[in-house]
Parts: sequence; structure tokens; C-alpha cells
Amino acid sequence: MKKPIGIVAYKCKKCGRLHYPWHDRCLACKNREFDPISPQGKARLLTFTRIYNLPWGFDQRYLTIGVVEFENGVRAMGQIDADENYPLKVGDWLQPSWDTVRVQYGENVYGLKLTPA
Amino acid sequence: MRDVAVIGVGMIPFGRRDEDTLLDMLAYASLHALDDAGLGDQGVDAVYVGNMGAGILQHQTAIASSLVDRLSLLPAAAETVENGPASGGSAVKNGLLAVASGYYDTVLVVGGEKMREVTGWRATDFVATMTHPLAEYIYGITLPGLAGMFTRLYMEKYGITREHLIAVAMKNQEMGALNPYAHVEMALSREGIYDSPHSIVNNPVVADPLHLYDACPVSDGAAALVLCPLEKIKKPAKPPVVIAGFGQATDTQTLQEREDPTDLKAVTLAAQQAFEMAKLKPSDIHVAELHDAFTILEIAESEHVGFFKKGEGGKAALMGKTRLGGTIPINMSGGLKARGHPVGATGVAQVVDIVHQLRHELPKERQVKNAQNGLTINFGGFGNNVLAFVLRRVEL
Repeated sequence: MKKPIGIVAYKCKKCGRLHYPWHDRCLACKNREFDPISPQGKARLLTFTRIYNLPWGFDQRYLTIGVVEFENGVRAMGQIDADENYPLKVGDWLQPSWDTVRVQYGENVYGLKLTPA
Repeated sequence: MRDVAVIGVGMIPFGRRDEDTLLDMLAYASLHALDDAGLGDQGVDAVYVGNMGAGILQHQTAIASSLVDRLSLLPAAAETVENGPASGGSAVKNGLLAVASGYYDTVLVVGGEKMREVTGWRATDFVATMTHPLAEYIYGITLPGLAGMFTRLYMEKYGITREHLIAVAMKNQEMGALNPYAHVEMALSREGIYDSPHSIVNNPVVADPLHLYDACPVSDGAAALVLCPLEKIKKPAKPPVVIAGFGQATDTQTLQEREDPTDLKAVTLAAQQAFEMAKLKPSDIHVAELHDAFTILEIAESEHVGFFKKGEGGKAALMGKTRLGGTIPINMSGGLKARGHPVGATGVAQVVDIVHQLRHELPKERQVKNAQNGLTINFGGFGNNVLAFVLRRVEL
């Protein structure tokens, strides 16, 4: 079954600035009250990289990671499921999902997965 | 506030030092600095040790306490300063403020890291622990990965190309080949890393668009300084160098929360503070050590500190303006790119390198002629904690 995107962003109740990840005070106006916001719609690719020297915990040849902006302005990092030769470019629209991004100590860790739309 | 002088500097060659423990390296660099200061058997009031990873990599904590014991500096005050890759710069700042305030007169500042005793897989993970645990780390992001994403944005916004990055890599490795303390004492040929078909093998992609020779090596090493009030120096054996200004600034932990992720605000602010305190401007600087953990960072930092306009740093590197004899020679030590980047040591090593420049004691192949003022930038996280120091030669 498809899992909902587990990211919660926070919109400042005073100035409207969007935050992700969580901050105790607004980065713009220092206000402490926020409305939780879920990412909506597709995600536009802002930047990305393919990493070939992977850190401990990733037993694979490469990993594609990008930063995206959802249609409602929420920005987040995620793993991109795209073949090494796929002509990924900044500005592409990607389909988000919530899936396993790594396995740590035998446990699945879930996070943002992105697939070319 | 008192003027603070660097009266002693010490460093050990960076690289892979299997024969030495972290404490060995810290001790050797410290003894070099104490001897250079001519302190003999005299003690120091305090010791600040910059180190990022001994707790993770060596399973060893409280290394400053171990160091004062080993060096017979008891009962000096001792503290370990951890601030990611800016740990060394933070240790220098702590020593500087302690002397400037009048609380201590003689302070030893040491920075060191031993990164090569774990696999590259583990070292990459260790460095990545400075990223946000939920919003970044879980995805397998690495510091080269963040630099790759930053480079892509910088290329799109300012027209930076691989030619510009290669100009930085070649210059810094050329200088590293002349520096006996450098981890990578090997000059690069353009053909080997770019032009020939073999360059795909010699210089593979690490985190695109960055290649192997765009990144600094993973190093072991240590560097040290002795600080004291300028007013206490009567007949110096070597020309005193004062820390005329410092600045430190922070930025958001994640790149995605920056309004313009290509804007390294913390670099700009830290440098501005340091220039203001020193009553100098970027055009007064004769030599700089910038934090080129990746070639793109030397270019971006050279713009953010005010040496060049935004978008001009790459062209300046390509035109040779940052080489010895250029308008502002940068990383005459080889920088992190060739001298190496034992993370906790770097901020201290940069100050050591500038002190050598301002004392005019380097061989002519690396010495900036008649250099009077120098700048260092120690870049923590991905620009979320940055320290800048302006150093000035003083004639007594």
C-alpha cells in the first residue's frame, strides 16, 4: 500500500514563511507558532548530484540525490530513482513517494523518493 | 582588548600517518610551536584543541586533557573545541579571546585529526554526521554531494565551467608539490585529468559535476600556534604577526532553506567582521588561505570575501589572478586540495601558513613578496559556521 509522504513542513502563523525541517522559532520573524503543512503535488527539481563515493550503510554503486520544491512551496531533499544515464536536469518535475531510503541496523528507514514523472 | 600576536607556529606533514596516534600528532605539532616560540621549559596558561572526530573515529574523548598531561603542561587549563570542519578556527578564536581579554597571557592552540585509520566508507559517513539527521543524513548525502549540488547551481547562475574548476585544482596541486607539509605533493597535468581519454579513469566523477581532483584528500595531520599579548614581546626572534581581526557567522543547516543557496552569507559576514576589526579591506590583503575542500569553494569564497565580484572568481582563477604574482595569491600552501584536510587541523593550519607568509620565511616559489596582511577562511558544515581571521605583520 502506498504510504503518505512523511514530511511535515511548518508555516509561520505570523509572517507565512515555510520551514522544513522544524525550527523552534521562525527564521524570518522569530515567532514560535506554526501551522503544519504537508507537501502537495509534484516536485520540481532545484538541484541534484550523483554520488559515487558513498558513505557507510550504502552498498551500491551510486546514489542520486536532489533538492525539490513541491507545488505548495515546501522544499526537501530526497533520493531520485533514475538510471545513471537518465538525462535528469534542473527544473524537471518528479513524482514523490515515501519509501525505504536506507537500512540501518536491520531496520528500514523511510524517506522521500522521487521518480521522473 | 589587547592585541594578540602569534609567536610560535608548528605543523607536521599531512597525509597518511599510520605510525602516529592522534595524540602523537597533536604533541609533535605542539612541540614544534612551543620551540618556535622559544618558550623552552616555560609553561602555558591554557590549551585549546580543535578536533571534530576523536570520539567517533578513535573512540577517545577529552583529548585536550590528555595532551596537557603528555606535554607536561599541567596545570594549564585545557579544552577540546568541536565545531565540525571549523573546529580548528574555533580553537584559534577561543585562544585569541582568552589572550585579548587579559585573562591568559600564553595560550597554545592545536588542531588535529586522524581520519585515515578508518575506511573511506566510514570516513565519508563520519563527515556526513554534520548534516541534518532527518532532512539530509538519512538519504546518504555526503559533503561532496552537497558540494556537487552547490556547484550545479553555481554553474547555472554564474556560468562556471569545468575549465574554471581545473584552474583551481592545478594551481593548488602545483603549490602542494612545493610544500613539504602537503598531503598530495604532486602537480597535475591538464591532459591527465581532463583532455585525454584516460582522464575518465584518472579523474572519475565523485559527485557530479565534481570529479576526484575537485575534492580535497582525507588526511591525518596536526598544526599548532602559540599566542601571547603583543605588548609582552620585547625582542622577538622572528617578526611578530598579530591576529588583527576575526569574524564568525552561521547560516541555515540545510542548503534548501537558504533563500539563494549560492549565497554563502556566513562567509561574507565573517569576512566583513574580520576586516572591520582589523580596519582593513579586501584590497589590503596580500595572501589568503581559503577553505577549498572542493575547487568550487575557492572560487565562491574568493567572491564572497570581496576579492572579486560575484561570478568573476572563476575567470580570475583561469586568468592567473590567484596564482603567485597575481593580484591576490590564494592557497599558496596548496590549500585543503593539496596540503590536505584533517578536519580539526585545517583552521589552525591555515593560520600557520599565513604566519609563514607574513614572516617572509618561505622559499621564493611559494612566498608572496613583501606580504604584510593575510586572510583565512575556515568553512564549517556546508557554510553554516564560518570563521575568518585577518593577520598582520608587525614591525617592533
